[in-house]
Amino acid sequence: MSLLSITHLKVHFPTQDGIVKAVNTIDLEIANNERLGLIGETGCGKTVLGMSIIRLLPPSTTIEGEIKYKGNDLLKLTEKEIRKIRGKEIAMILQNPTTSLNPVLKVGDQIAEAIKLHQGLAKRAAKAKTVEMLEAVKIPDATKRANEYPHQFSGGMKERAMIAMGLACDPAMIIADEPTKGLDITVKKQIVKLMKEVTTQKTMLFITHDLGVAAEICDNITVMYAGELMEYANTEAIFKNPLHPYTQGFLNSLPSMGLKAIKGMSPSLINLPSGCRFHPRCDCANAKCKTEHPELIEVEKSHYVRCFQYA
Amino acid sequence: MLEIANLRKYFSSGLLWKQSVKAVDGVSFHIERGETLGLVGESGCGKTTVGRLLLRLIEPTEGKIFFDDIDVLQLKKKELRKLRPRMQMIFQDPDASLNPRMKIGDSIAEPLKLQGHLDSDGIKDKVLDLIETVGLNPEHRNRYPYQLSGGQNQRVVLARVLALNPDFIVADEPTSSLDVSIQAQILNLMQDLKREMHLTILFISHDLEVVRHMSDRIAVMYRGKIVEIGTANDIFENPRHPYTKTLLSSSSDD
Repeated sequence: MSLLSITHLKVHFPTQDGIVKAVNTIDLEIANNERLGLIGETGCGKTVLGMSIIRLLPPSTTIEGEIKYKGNDLLKLTEKEIRKIRGKEIAMILQNPTTSLNPVLKVGDQIAEAIKLHQGLAKRAAKAKTVEMLEAVKIPDATKRANEYPHQFSGGMKERAMIAMGLACDPAMIIADEPTKGLDITVKKQIVKLMKEVTTQKTMLFITHDLGVAAEICDNITVMYAGELMEYANTEAIFKNPLHPYTQGFLNSLPSMGLKAIKGMSPSLINLPSGCRFHPRCDCANAKCKTEHPELIEVEKSHYVRCFQYA
Repeated sequence: MLEIANLRKYFSSGLLWKQSVKAVDGVSFHIERGETLGLVGESGCGKTTVGRLLLRLIEPTEGKIFFDDIDVLQLKKKELRKLRPRMQMIFQDPDASLNPRMKIGDSIAEPLKLQGHLDSDGIKDKVLDLIETVGLNPEHRNRYPYQLSGGQNQRVVLARVLALNPDFIVADEPTSSLDVSIQAQILNLMQDLKREMHLTILFISHDLEVVRHMSDRIAVMYRGKIVEIGTANDIFENPRHPYTKTLLSSSSDD
């Protein structure tokens, strides 16, 4: 039974230049205790997809479809009801801890805020819990550190604090948006290890453009391009047997795979290409790809791909 | 081409109790003409400071820098200005290195105007030329940096740097803020340009795989010191220093 199931989700933003079609008819299921990697380039709509689950998008956004969490459609909840889910049931770890933490509040107080709100703990109990959370994410000298401000933390420490904040209310599901962005290689490794440890008993949607990190953490991976899912499979299959030309290109552009670039650029989400969204950059594209839009089909067991080559 | 000896830079802070940070602590190396030297290390190891010292954007506490047998640290301001076009730097964040209120075309034209060798028609042609060299479209000339992606902006920065026909470029994490797929495009472009224009490059990065791809030789930096230097193959196949080994192991099972 899936914990979260997304059906026919569309998220569009009106802007001066036209409608930004960030998410285009996405269907996705996340099972209990599954760690799913959502991979794509900047601007493919992956963060928007994450944000739409806990409804952190501006009011002008048009959202269609269903996001069912434990059987309830999150999109139909009132603001008051979603607030009980956000942070408590589903928590988000945002990218860029430097801008996500409030610079004028002590780190400990920022973590305690969520604990007080959702668990109804008194000040002292909330503080004890905060210290416990900071210890859980392996911040040394946690009691002292809780009383410090974000600028006194290094990048890696801030990321740990963000993770502590996400985990503070023991949510069933975590949405992590590029938690390793901008971190050094050795620090990145520590954070990946920590994320892996703290999410063993949890469901997670892990958003990243870093394939290496996704491989380390996730059970399954789905590749997003121009607001659509292009491929879905278990992690091993994605790396050993990538089917979609975009996934193949993405893997080949890794430095360890020879740095072969995909030609062209990702399309603007306002003027999406006709037919297959990837056809202008695809070496295998033919006339059909330019006019007709491929569906996501299951080519092997639990391995889905959106490409006419396999239709 | 470039030789530095025993370069040191200490930053001090505090009025009464002076604290000094040894950002660069006795670094020596040389770069041959046409060579790419990779400089790797974690954040805060002093690698960016080395890059800035080389171009004399900041003054070292101690040490010597020779560029084409010119003692760079002895130069007067005027002489240094003459040398600057030959040594250029590419910074980490392309969005922050471009003037947000200047059109792309004007940004690229600016160094040419300052140099004063070309008339306005000549500059126009050269700008179009450069735009093509770095793989942008002519219509990008009239756009502003915010209208372009990070990868495109980094191409603009490259065009600006190439405008002056430099011999030596310090590239400081030129792709750290870019996506993997875009990173590959920019790095390949840099490789091509290096070959065509016979550039000498100091390539600063924390990403070992990227450095391996780009460099002939690699210097590993740790806490302000160079702990190991050798050919790219040597460093990867046969690392000697324990720190290099740690770095390699953390990147391989990453």
